[in-house]
Amino acid sequence: MKVKFFALLRDITGVKETTDFTGTTLVELLEELSGHYGKEMTRWLFTPTAPDQEKQIGKDVIILVNGRAIEHLAGLETPLKEDDEVAIFPRLAGG
Amino acid sequence: MAKVLMLNPEKCISCRTCELACSFKHDREFRPSAARVNVLQFEQEGISVPLMCLQCDTAACEKVCPSGALKRNEATGALVVDDAKCIRCKMCVQACPFGNIAYDPAKSRILRCDLCDGEPQCAKFCPSEAITYVEASSGTLAKKRAYAAIFKEALQEVTK
Amino acid sequence: MYGWVGQILRVNLTNGTVKKEALDPVEAKNYIGARGLGTRLWIKDCDPKVDPLSEDNNLIFMTGPLTGTMATNAGRYNVICKAPLTGAMAASNSGGYWGPELKYAGYDGIIFEGKSEKPVYLWIKDGEVELRCAEHLWGKDIIETTDTLKEETDFDARVACIGPAGENLVKFAGVINDYTRAAGRSGVGAVMGSKNLKAVVVRGTGAVKVADPDNFFAALTKARKMVAEHPVTGQGLPAYGTEILINILDQSGGLPVNNFRDSGTFPNADATSGETLAKTYLVRNKGCMGCNIGCGRIVNVPDGPYKGFGEGPEYEAGWSFGADCGVDDLAAIIKANNYCNELGMDPITLGSTIACAFELYEIGAITEKETGLPLRFGDAAAMVELTRQAAYREGFGNEIAEGSYRLASKYGHPELSMTCKKQEVAAYDPRVLQGMGLNYATSNRGGCHVRGYMTSPEILGLPEKLDNLVTEGKAEWTKIFQDLTAAVDSTGICLFLTFAIGAPEISEQIIAATGVDFTVEELMKAGERIWNMERLFNIANGFTKEDDTLPPRMLKDPVKIGPAKGHVNKLDVMLPEYYELRGWDAEGRPTPDKLKELGLQ
Repeated sequence: MKVKFFALLRDITGVKETTDFTGTTLVELLEELSGHYGKEMTRWLFTPTAPDQEKQIGKDVIILVNGRAIEHLAGLETPLKEDDEVAIFPRLAGG
Repeated sequence: MAKVLMLNPEKCISCRTCELACSFKHDREFRPSAARVNVLQFEQEGISVPLMCLQCDTAACEKVCPSGALKRNEATGALVVDDAKCIRCKMCVQACPFGNIAYDPAKSRILRCDLCDGEPQCAKFCPSEAITYVEASSGTLAKKRAYAAIFKEALQEVTK
Repeated sequence: MYGWVGQILRVNLTNGTVKKEALDPVEAKNYIGARGLGTRLWIKDCDPKVDPLSEDNNLIFMTGPLTGTMATNAGRYNVICKAPLTGAMAASNSGGYWGPELKYAGYDGIIFEGKSEKPVYLWIKDGEVELRCAEHLWGKDIIETTDTLKEETDFDARVACIGPAGENLVKFAGVINDYTRAAGRSGVGAVMGSKNLKAVVVRGTGAVKVADPDNFFAALTKARKMVAEHPVTGQGLPAYGTEILINILDQSGGLPVNNFRDSGTFPNADATSGETLAKTYLVRNKGCMGCNIGCGRIVNVPDGPYKGFGEGPEYEAGWSFGADCGVDDLAAIIKANNYCNELGMDPITLGSTIACAFELYEIGAITEKETGLPLRFGDAAAMVELTRQAAYREGFGNEIAEGSYRLASKYGHPELSMTCKKQEVAAYDPRVLQGMGLNYATSNRGGCHVRGYMTSPEILGLPEKLDNLVTEGKAEWTKIFQDLTAAVDSTGICLFLTFAIGAPEISEQIIAATGVDFTVEELMKAGERIWNMERLFNIANGFTKEDDTLPPRMLKDPVKIGPAKGHVNKLDVMLPEYYELRGWDAEGRPTPDKLKELGLQ
């Protein structure tokens, strides 16, 4: 699956997009990205929670799966397929 | 250890918040023409330069003043006008080689930076660090670090 | 008075007189300032049915009570008149430094009446005001005019002026201040040109005072900190400017492409994005007076056919000259935007009109015989050339200068003009952002995105994420955004603050500044009052609920590609609920009860 990065997330990853990562649900994919790109990425993707608490999406990130915001899908539990496209934005815009 | 104001004009976004903060601090109103800091805008080149008195160690204004109205605040290092002694001769305005001291005819007084008694408002409110208030050491007063970073990036590019 | 300086200039250009009038505190309390107050003063003096280019259309420059203070980003003023493009009310909003300078000179606003026989400019230096000959400036562009006027008057003076476009009565000519800030939409520059008024030059050495300095300072310090810490205003806008929106609209399937024919994703959108701009032509960012965001883009294209220095483009210009025309050459987009700044035009209407011309050409409704050059989507050089021609009404530019509605109607295809009430809509496809569609259709000044910025909740998730594809709840949100924006537009602060702070923080600042009890409720009510006042003006001008609509393409042609494929805008579902929430009857007219509630009988 294709994962696309925008704005200052590109500075963290060094690339605009990648097909190196996967997951059956969104949270699995984000955990892979988090593990690979380190705590700078983790800060955007996840709100800090205690280890035994459920994971929460970062409050300043916008994630689209095939162009649809995850709030209107199943959030972190959104199922993913191999040909899906995931776009990740920091919430940075306006005009 | 005294701190000093440092100017980084390449970071100036031309917002003139420093002028607003300065005039409010001194006069509790918004009057950029009476601010002690001014932003000089060069529109065609897209560059703006904030400028205020940087408190010369050997100050022409202090030397030329006939009434001893300019005194050094030892704690902040700033020269401050003693309003009672100032005779408004405006010789200080003529003497400063940088133009960083001015006369305000509306209120009949000399305008110059006094570092806001140690908490300069321009530096506090500047959104882009074009004006900062830093320890006066040889390390901070050399601008090397920022430009060393540019070298570092260039080296990383060519040695990849 | 505090906040306001309490004085207005009334300049009669026909007989060359200048009068100073006191600002009525009751009007100021009810309509706040800038957009609201300026519109109110226009309506009091003028007949709603005047011809916009006649001398009876007053032209008003109005600041807000916070303009020129250190409130968060308080550098704004409005230019108000009846609009030549639409026949609706125009209240175009601009930043820079001109508005604050007018306050420091001692005036909240200027009302221009009548028409000068010969080109003139107004020169204000504190208490001294005079009309001066501008014949030597007529024909000059914005840069040369501004430079010359500063030399003639005062190097520190601030200039608001028109370029050749305003002189040539281009329907979407703007007023440009401080070289690159624009009161852009609806053709206010043409009204200025019709009065033979070339410029308004101000130098102010006075002060703006506030009622409660301690509380004002505390409120603004807190609000500035919130602005600095918010990701949109503290990081995104300074780093990438508003062009940061290109990619997210594209990925969401809502970026209009090729005159909305091929929405909602553009193959090379990223090449025109804020990210790409930051890495290529951006020199540094810039802010208006008192700004702590700094979204302005100073750019330089070092070589090539589009070489040059300028400011911008914003998202709307990046789209209108970009994806809407099928163009992905960022340097060409910058050049077109530079022309708009230098010659004084609105990039949204202009880009959209060029896109309309491209489509008319592609279907054979116009040919090279009319246009003088082939016009195709994606042709960057043609897009740039038409931009330049429009300002001078040269060649086919004379047709472009009329806006897309008149252009498309002339050649038998009004449905290809992407306008509401004859003003071009902006860079968000209403088939994909349902709420934005409702806002376009109901906006008092015609197609406009910013006065009911539904993109914020529908795409950015601020203050919360709404599903852009549904209609539920959109009527209520649209009304809230429209009312709040009308209030903010009237205070003199920049709308972008509302990403980071809300009505409570604005209320704190304006209460402390003016001493008037502008609670959150009062602010929202004033906003609603202003909205209804503008609506009444439109009704008096013959606008009906038939005009609260969208182009047929958006109501009937489903999006063909992308994540929002298959969608149209369902205005008919949202509009009745909107009227009801607004307290209007089924014909879209404010009821007597609503007018009484707002004090607008």
